Amino acid sequence: MSVAVPEARKPAARLRSDRRPGASAGRLLRLELRHNAMMWLLPVVAVLFWLTTYRKTMAMAPMWNLRAASLQSGAVIDFITPVVGAAAWMGTREARRRTTDLVATVARPPWSRLLVTWAATTCWALAGYLGCLAVVYGVTARQASWGGPLWWPVAVAACALVAFSALGFAAGVLIPGRFTAPVVGIASFFVLALSTELIIGATSYWYVSPVVTGPWDAGPDAGVATFYPYLPDLSIAQLMFLSGLTLAVLGALALGRASGAGRVRIAAASVAVAGLLAAGTAVRLAGTSRLDPHGMIAIPALHDAANDRPILYTPVCRETAIPICLNPAYARYLPAVATALRPVIDEVAGLPGAPGRIIEVGATYQQGSGNSVAISLTQPPRGSGQASVMRILLPDQLGGPTLTTSQLAAQAASSTAPEILARVVGNGSGVTPAQQAVWTGLLFAAGQKAVVGGPTPERVIGPPGIVSPGSGSPGRGSRAAGSPGPGSPAAGSPAAGYQELLAPKGSQAFAVALRFRALPAAVRYRWLMTHLPALRAGQITLAQIP
Amino acid sequence: MTADVKNASGHVGPEGAGLTASVAGLAGRSRPGWRALARVVRLHAASRRVPGAAAVIIGCGVALRIALIGHWDAYGALQLPLVVESLAAATIAITTASPLGEAERVAGRWLPALRLATTLALTALAVLALSLAGYGAHLSGGTLGVLRNVAGVTGLGLLCAVLLGGGLAWTGPTGYLIAGVYGLYTQWHPPAITTPWLWPARPTHDLGAALCAGMVFIVGLALVTMRGAWDRVREPG
Repeated sequence: MSVAVPEARKPAARLRSDRRPGASAGRLLRLELRHNAMMWLLPVVAVLFWLTTYRKTMAMAPMWNLRAASLQSGAVIDFITPVVGAAAWMGTREARRRTTDLVATVARPPWSRLLVTWAATTCWALAGYLGCLAVVYGVTARQASWGGPLWWPVAVAACALVAFSALGFAAGVLIPGRFTAPVVGIASFFVLALSTELIIGATSYWYVSPVVTGPWDAGPDAGVATFYPYLPDLSIAQLMFLSGLTLAVLGALALGRASGAGRVRIAAASVAVAGLLAAGTAVRLAGTSRLDPHGMIAIPALHDAANDRPILYTPVCRETAIPICLNPAYARYLPAVATALRPVIDEVAGLPGAPGRIIEVGATYQQGSGNSVAISLTQPPRGSGQASVMRILLPDQLGGPTLTTSQLAAQAASSTAPEILARVVGNGSGVTPAQQAVWTGLLFAAGQKAVVGGPTPERVIGPPGIVSPGSGSPGRGSRAAGSPGPGSPAAGSPAAGYQELLAPKGSQAFAVALRFRALPAAVRYRWLMTHLPALRAGQITLAQIP
Repeated sequence: MTADVKNASGHVGPEGAGLTASVAGLAGRSRPGWRALARVVRLHAASRRVPGAAAVIIGCGVALRIALIGHWDAYGALQLPLVVESLAAATIAITTASPLGEAERVAGRWLPALRLATTLALTALAVLALSLAGYGAHLSGGTLGVLRNVAGVTGLGLLCAVLLGGGLAWTGPTGYLIAGVYGLYTQWHPPAITTPWLWPARPTHDLGAALCAGMVFIVGLALVTMRGAWDRVREPG
């Protein structure tokens, strides 16, 4: 008897514990988690993420802005088909197992049972996503030299998974069948990935798509959200849309399954309507988007003017003959850029007209025709007294393909050297052959032979304004430099914008340039120190150049 | 007779019962009549949801045709056929799922031949439907591309059917779709993925890609023909 009493009390104790709010739901969720198809799809998602997103993201410069944007769009694309498919598969379960009549007799309302199944699918999807996020952000945290993680893109991708899961699950419940999962999964991928074809320009309703992180077709751009804060406008609209979509779908699902209970029906209908309103509002807001001057998508109704103020930072500098200073986010490039610029700096440091300092600044973005974006150097305010400061953009501030450090440094040097030399030699109207010869000779001497062909140079100066083939869609123009202006490496060739200073091949000026380049550096420097004012004034002839 | 025929979940369906009776009947005869054979084929097709699969495949062709009328940039033009091909392949792979389970395996002497015929017929239908959809329009990769991609991705789906079960066979083609689309993307965004195992990203005339796709299809077809899709007592979910 003394043994039987505790045994008899066990069910009662369990019953009491079940009355705790959420206890039975928690147990049901645990059961669903253990028998969920999404769990088995996580290895597939992990492989896809590694193949398509992780490798690409890790090849980018370790900057939070680049990697967060890449993570958002990559994770959304990688997860959509498995998540929608798994959710649809779970939604068809009762029909597949022909247990619809059986479970209809249980006390728990159908919608609450379905919501638990959906929640379990979503939990697995989010767990997989958080794992991917942890790896990418963990590695970036160790590599990044400046800044911190951006959470808006992370939230958008997470919210997208929740919405996909709801969509797939609802499709599975409403259209149960063996073909539902792949059809819905692939259809979702189609809508998500190829709907971006409809984005033209910076104002498009399709910007609510969670795969979009900035100006479409523009490609990754390290210059965005580096000099100015990350604009959350687009992320807020996307979150609104995705949350609204989730609520609308789940509300509709509960409405259809809330048999009898009037209060539940009213609540479900209210949730669905609220979700639809939120999603519709988000779409309308996205339709008012525009490209802001700092390269991000701004939505006036959601815009916070405080985000228009530049980020304060202490530049990292290399004390060469002409100091070079970069944004701390680019600190890893500083040694390579300084080394690449050293030959040209050694040629002109201290000469009249040579810059006293070279600093990296932010770019200004302007929407072009179609999806093209014009990027130009942000000009200093008038009367800022920074005439001796040379402002430059690094190549990866212009979008385009990912560059290695050495590639970036070489491009930076080949785009900056012509400008530095032009400041020294003079680059106004009426350039004389002597100026051409000296500029070209110095360019050769600075090691920029490849630019104009060296001893047997060929003009490879491309049409100005063409930048970074491959940064965007192969079918559309992507980015175009607004003008290959001072310091801008925007033009397709480093010497673009300085054609008037380049001695034509075969001309007498070209022969003099080769001769000038062959002089010892010290002799060149002394001659320049003596004759530079006269050269800039157009009073030196080719015959006077040694 | 039918009381012994149960699928994994214990359900006995009229189609399954009829099919099993027919297959069992065939197993007992040395030369089945044409009418009996036709009945077996019809019942096998019904049990594998072949009519539904054929409808989805034809729907894929119609959808592709409609989509090709629109204007697509280079991305869309390249990716669109692969999306539709993957859906057709996933649909074919799903038809390997058997609702009848062990009883059919024991009684169905003709089962391998029926599996082979069903899979080949649906694959041929998919290639035909998608090729016809591209007739007179610009279909990236052309008919050869359709043949290679449908065959290869279907083979992947068949392998998944053998490993995971017919119900979840769609996971292979849908996952491979993402990888294939990324492979196409890397053609413009170096470093390009050039492995022939990612055949949708290779040019149509690439022999290595065709061989890989063909090999995956043959291996998948052979395994499904011999063993059928894996009948799990309880498939996930």
